[in-house]
Amino acid sequence: MRIVVLTKPVPDPAAGAERLGPDHRLDRAASPTVINGNDEYALEAALQLVEAHGGEVVVLTMAPANGTETIRKALAMGAQRGILVTDEALAGADLPTTIRVLAAAVAAEPFDLVLGGLDTSDGAGGAVTAGVAARLGLPLLSAAGAIEPDPAAGRVRVHRLSARGYDLVEAPMPAVISCTQALGAPRYPSLKGIMAARSREIAIRSLADLGPDLAPAGGAWATAVLVADLPPARAAGRVVSGPAPDTAREIADFLVARRII
Amino acid sequence: MAAAILAVAEVADGALTKLSTEVATLARALADAAGGTAMGLVVDAAPDVAAGQLAAFVPRVIAVTSPALTSEVAAPHVAGEIVRLLAEGVTHVVMGATTDGRDVAGTLVGMTGLGLLANADEASWAGEGPLIRSSVLGGKAVTSSALTAGSGLITLRPGGVTAGEAGATGAVESREPAAPAGPVATVLDRVAEAGAAVSLEDAHVVVVGGRGVGSAEGFAVVEELADLLGGVAGATRASVDAGWVPYSRQIGQTGRVVKPGLYLGLGVSGAMQHRVGMQGSEVIVAVNRDQDAPIAEVADLFVLGDLFEVGPALVAELRARRGG
Amino acid sequence: MAPVTTKQPGHSPVRLSEEQQLLRDAVRVLADERIAPRAADIDRTATWPEDVRRLLADHDVFAIPFEERHGGLGADLLTLCLAIEQISRQCATSGLILAVQALGAIPIQVAGTPEQQDRWLPGLASGEKLIAFGLTEADAGSDPSGIRTRAVRDGDEYVIDGTKRFISHGSVADYVIVFAATNPDAERSSRRLSAILVETDRPGFKVTRVEHKMGIRGSPTAELAFDGVRVPVGNRLGDEGQGFAIAMQTFERSRPGIAAQAVGIAQGALEVAAAYAKERRQFGKPIAELQMIQAMLADMDAATEAARHLLYTACEEIESGDADAARWAAICKLVAGDAAMRVTTDAVQVLGGYGYIDDYPVERMMRDAKITQLYEGTQQIQRLIVARSLLAGS
Repeated sequence: MRIVVLTKPVPDPAAGAERLGPDHRLDRAASPTVINGNDEYALEAALQLVEAHGGEVVVLTMAPANGTETIRKALAMGAQRGILVTDEALAGADLPTTIRVLAAAVAAEPFDLVLGGLDTSDGAGGAVTAGVAARLGLPLLSAAGAIEPDPAAGRVRVHRLSARGYDLVEAPMPAVISCTQALGAPRYPSLKGIMAARSREIAIRSLADLGPDLAPAGGAWATAVLVADLPPARAAGRVVSGPAPDTAREIADFLVARRII
Repeated sequence: MAAAILAVAEVADGALTKLSTEVATLARALADAAGGTAMGLVVDAAPDVAAGQLAAFVPRVIAVTSPALTSEVAAPHVAGEIVRLLAEGVTHVVMGATTDGRDVAGTLVGMTGLGLLANADEASWAGEGPLIRSSVLGGKAVTSSALTAGSGLITLRPGGVTAGEAGATGAVESREPAAPAGPVATVLDRVAEAGAAVSLEDAHVVVVGGRGVGSAEGFAVVEELADLLGGVAGATRASVDAGWVPYSRQIGQTGRVVKPGLYLGLGVSGAMQHRVGMQGSEVIVAVNRDQDAPIAEVADLFVLGDLFEVGPALVAELRARRGG
Repeated sequence: MAPVTTKQPGHSPVRLSEEQQLLRDAVRVLADERIAPRAADIDRTATWPEDVRRLLADHDVFAIPFEERHGGLGADLLTLCLAIEQISRQCATSGLILAVQALGAIPIQVAGTPEQQDRWLPGLASGEKLIAFGLTEADAGSDPSGIRTRAVRDGDEYVIDGTKRFISHGSVADYVIVFAATNPDAERSSRRLSAILVETDRPGFKVTRVEHKMGIRGSPTAELAFDGVRVPVGNRLGDEGQGFAIAMQTFERSRPGIAAQAVGIAQGALEVAAAYAKERRQFGKPIAELQMIQAMLADMDAATEAARHLLYTACEEIESGDADAARWAAICKLVAGDAAMRVTTDAVQVLGGYGYIDDYPVERMMRDAKITQLYEGTQQIQRLIVARSLLAGS
């Protein structure tokens, strides 16, 4: 199976240091970058599928030039090769451009499946994977909690998570799948994986390599962030302690006062 | 070009979802401010009931009966309807920021190149087009964003807009389904999992069990309080990872975002991962044995105590006040 | 408890290569995310952490000190010490798992034939097999001339009789390198011993005791009885009578591992103490603003940093074949062990009463630190080695 995994380097949410720069865009230098959480689940799922069915995992990222760092991490986890699409003209790219660029890069590769995270911790539009599917004219199976390909039959089944549980969804391959945490915890890279990753290939592609008319000229994006503020501060709350019947009463009184009960 | 705002509704159990009423209210408000028109779209195998409900919010509802939706995923069908309506003059499309909504939005962006204002907590009409406010980066900042072109898409987070009916009932038109926007995956089965949380985003009260609950059995007190308060039980990532509850209960960055009237956290530390999913709640009460738990920073009332003592005591207290 | 700082040590005159940094950082992540949550329980229950052993095996951590042809990473002594340091920062017992494995393998690496190396090293590199170093006896600690275990040649076998004491991993090991007297009446006492690998499933081998210790309580320290244990002559490493030399050669490469454990313990304790001092308020302010606390923390930091840099330098010198490797090994272990004891004791002091209870890890770290002044040569033995080297020139 040949699987392309879309990964995005994002500020490490655990470091809590993300912030917006003066242009209201994410200041990507401000905090350490990691692979977006949901993309890691996608990557782990891809690695397991290739371990079971044979084949290759290719990691594809659109990022500034330092995007090779997170690709190396993915290679250390076991992906066979990586592709970084990087171009100054893509700084601050909007969603339609991101989708066009990623789709063009994916289309240049042989694949059975394209996996992406359901959304990202730094943008959380949750639309990129679906947009790539639409651009490629491929079926989208979203919110995957389990992925079951049948390479012989050329079809793939997915557990699409729902409020009730899941829908069992199927499409012919090639197909695009957006991935959730329910796929299972990503592995830590083994030390041998880390060493092997240093010699694995990362191809660098610019906009020109991918084709014409993928990005609007002069950074004329479809959306603009006008203002960035700090969130309104929450008023400090009350702290109570003591024996349980007393504190329980405090809670009940509080709920009455706030007209919740 | 006059603004024509389309509200895309979602149907659950044959009826309109709460978020769809908020989406529709917003669409109408934007249309009023822009001096344009608002309309609603319901696409379902049996759309009539939801279409009738939607008509209370917008003056015109397009109801598409699509039998295909019984056995196919909805997003390409809904996107196909919207593409048709865009060609007929719709300028802006508002959807709920749900899994389906985001799939539809992404599909539309991929097909049309239109801009998307994603995850709006609020939206207004400013001069030439919509302006949204969105909490980003795990709550670190709030941005105001706008489209640079005359048309585009908005996805709306639950709980940001208060639904309000129009006062007059709109007209419902039926239409034949449009072609789906691309290949469609087949739904072979719909599986209900025990313990799945159906209506977390819609719930007025959410009671959450965190790491402190300690076990699947421990969740009983969370469920009991949720019941007593007329709400739904949710969980943190720790509880889901530990296997005490299914993933559909998870609230947080990689789970669901809720903005209930009351959030009650039991044994929840309040790591940022989780706070992202609940810090918009109107009232936050937390019980934890650790006075340094980060949840104390956002709690309106923080109770320093053992949830297995406070929880049952609260159950008793609530029952007593109920008079039985 | 307040989160610890995430300071990354390693800015040293010894420049870590990209590979060393990558491996160090990867081990650090494993230690922080998978081992740290286990540390208190490992100590409290004094149970061998088989899950940590599996974790280290699965992520190729055991492979660090082995050559690639044996399934290892082919990394150098400094890299091994970086890994031991990172693990020990969170759990000294766990750091010791790697250190003891590396220790036990050294005699095979320095004195084994290619065939012996091919036979035993791959299993150690993968972590599938565990090895222990069997030198010490009840009457032979600092003074190996007291070793009484005998290995008597009988045809193409040795028959081993005797008892070893205080053998780390002795009760979980698949192999033990046993230092036994093959020439008890040799003229020079340094020619009495041979090093023989004994597979622990051989008849006559028995674990007769596991100690209850002050610290590193998850690490099984065992008494091993050999009652007529027969092993093929092919299990002997090097020549008959070469055992003592092999042991001394081993310590040159293994003592830095203990120094690394000590530096890690010290760093862990320092971070806990510093974080605590910032949160704990007395007299209306965080105690971190009190000068006596600042002085203690500064001295702890200085001692840890100094021990670390000496260790890294020692690793480089030993790896490059320095003629005075023994002195480097001794001096880095001496400084690091004393630093760990001092830093952990002061860490308890900074935490005051809270440092004395097991809600906080510093009391465990203090108990763990003590062993670094005792095993693989007591601090007193290290001092003799350093002095001998210093005074030899004149």
